[in-house]
Amino acid sequence: MNMSDTERTRPVIEQMGYEWTDNEEEASLVGILACSVRQKAIDKVYSRIHKWNKRKNKETLLTFVTGCILPSDKDRFLKLFDIVFPMSELQELPDMIKQYGIVTPTSLSSGQNNNAIYQNPRIKELKEKASELKLNEHISDFWHINPNYESDFEAFVPIQNGCDKFCTFCAVPYTRGREVSRPSSEIFEEIQNLINKDYKTITLLGQNVNSYGFDKKGEEVSFPELLRKIGEMGKKSGKEFWVYFTSPHPRDMTDEVIEVIAAYSNLGKQIHLPIQSGDDKLLIKMNRKHSVEKYKHIVDTIRKLIPQATLFTDIIVGFTGETDEQFENTRKIMEEFKYNMAYIAQYSQRPGAVSSRWVDDIPKQIKKERYHTLTQDLIETSSTHNKKMVGNTYRVLVRGMERKGDFISGLTEGKINVRIYSSDDSLIGKIVDVKIKSATEFSVAGELITKEELQSA
Amino acid sequence: METITNSIYKIQQVRHLTDSTYVIRMDRGGMQFIAGQNLNLGIDGDVEKRDYSIYSGEKDNYLEVLVKEVEDGLVSKQMKSLKPGDKLEVDGPFGFFTLKPEDIDSKKYLFIASGTGVAPFHSIAQSFKNLNFKLIHGIRHSNEAYEKEHYPADRYVSCVTADDKGSFKGRVTDYLKANPVDKDTLCYLCGNVNMIYDAFDVLKEQGVPSGNLHAEVYF
Repeated sequence: MNMSDTERTRPVIEQMGYEWTDNEEEASLVGILACSVRQKAIDKVYSRIHKWNKRKNKETLLTFVTGCILPSDKDRFLKLFDIVFPMSELQELPDMIKQYGIVTPTSLSSGQNNNAIYQNPRIKELKEKASELKLNEHISDFWHINPNYESDFEAFVPIQNGCDKFCTFCAVPYTRGREVSRPSSEIFEEIQNLINKDYKTITLLGQNVNSYGFDKKGEEVSFPELLRKIGEMGKKSGKEFWVYFTSPHPRDMTDEVIEVIAAYSNLGKQIHLPIQSGDDKLLIKMNRKHSVEKYKHIVDTIRKLIPQATLFTDIIVGFTGETDEQFENTRKIMEEFKYNMAYIAQYSQRPGAVSSRWVDDIPKQIKKERYHTLTQDLIETSSTHNKKMVGNTYRVLVRGMERKGDFISGLTEGKINVRIYSSDDSLIGKIVDVKIKSATEFSVAGELITKEELQSA
Repeated sequence: METITNSIYKIQQVRHLTDSTYVIRMDRGGMQFIAGQNLNLGIDGDVEKRDYSIYSGEKDNYLEVLVKEVEDGLVSKQMKSLKPGDKLEVDGPFGFFTLKPEDIDSKKYLFIASGTGVAPFHSIAQSFKNLNFKLIHGIRHSNEAYEKEHYPADRYVSCVTADDKGSFKGRVTDYLKANPVDKDTLCYLCGNVNMIYDAFDVLKEQGVPSGNLHAEVYF
């Protein structure tokens, strides 16, 4: 095993919120840094993965292999491991894990900043150029955002695990198993505890949060009922905090969910609703189980019942067989739904997913072009949203100090990044009033407003 | 309705329908499913698994899947030579390609299948004997009209492209163009993606709203 690779892999994994264990049996993520120089070492890889794949019958386990791998072994590894990647792509490991539907606190808490940076084409190009030149050496600055999962004001509560949707681009059902809901009594207890401790945001986690309870056949509350109860808990506490959830699936997004979010001030007015493509036929090929029409109904309901809500989405460009016309349909829905943020991904095959058996027939150059085009479309809508914020005052949760230490920064209830003209780090973890003075593509900036100023305004 | 299972099922029978297509019948094992759902299965002990729609009806006391041997396939080729008593590892049921219970007695259904994509419709037809449906089955040769005697004769249409022994000579899209669909019909499409795409376009042109179109692609 290459110790240098290990030293670099470990922090990347730990930054996602994973905790290192020396006991292989208790690990939920296991990986091998392979060395193909000696056949014996490769033989050991096969022996291990067979053992791990047997464990998968009984528990949730994600496996990866990286390091130096011969092409002949790579073909076999693709069938045996969940994730196979060269060390040069180490920085993308969290994204690969995320694509398996494994939501980690870090992937959420740093996600917006990361994605904003990642989605800036100029920065992305520089990153790509750097990666071409140095391959293994571009990790450090990409992971500059310090994870904050041990925060005393932001908490993450798992409510559901697994997935029954079988999207063709995704291997989650094969790696995480079927949808299983956590007992609501445990969820309520944990949330009450967090409310008592004055947490400011609570994010309910799951691969398909809004199918919560389906597996319990009527013996558990539904997702809207779960949200309603949490809303009541918030109301009773009289405290200001925001509850979010991620990720919902459009198939199970009912009007009732939106009605409940509208009814309770503690339920955050930000909705992340992955669409993946704006073309009905491509949605069929992705096995998404919903049409654009169904999605449009959800967005219309959100706009009607919660006009102030921000809307985020996930989109894949360059999915197998995606035609120019189908891509244009995605551009049309970007224009129609006017997202505040879209996490755009260039399609890449994931071992174990159905689509990994198809020829990845969209050239990388086309994927890049579509990615850049869609990013530009996103910039237009997000900039328009952000510009409209200028001159208005928003409640902002202060989350940290910017890297240079000149400004504090935070998020609005709608999860819009805000740079605040203050270096008062005692405000971190508090919700403050900020008057927005300027806007950029993916963030806004403004100054603190005191209660007196707010009242006299 | 669904029961979580991930276990070993014993094969009762392998029924060969053509040189390359066969039905595997296995123990029911108490599995509850909704007609139209699928199973993820493979030979016991093998890493390779594939999804197959359930072919048998909800009330049958066995489970069946319809399998077409794929050239260079890693599951279908190997399963073809299985014998009664051999074991499969089965996970499921999965999927949402099912009928809404409230529609079953009142709605008119159009089922469109290519090849072994007929399997979920076989399960549905076996499960709901009084269902108002028409099944259009696109195949190359008329011997691929798998067990057509299992359907009421007036409800099954084979669209055959390579010989003249089917109910209709031509592709399913040709049949649809010659026999336009009522907009209120609930259309379920299952099979290869190209057939589904082409049929999807024809049905949309005929005014069927996308909310009435349901698809299960075989990959």
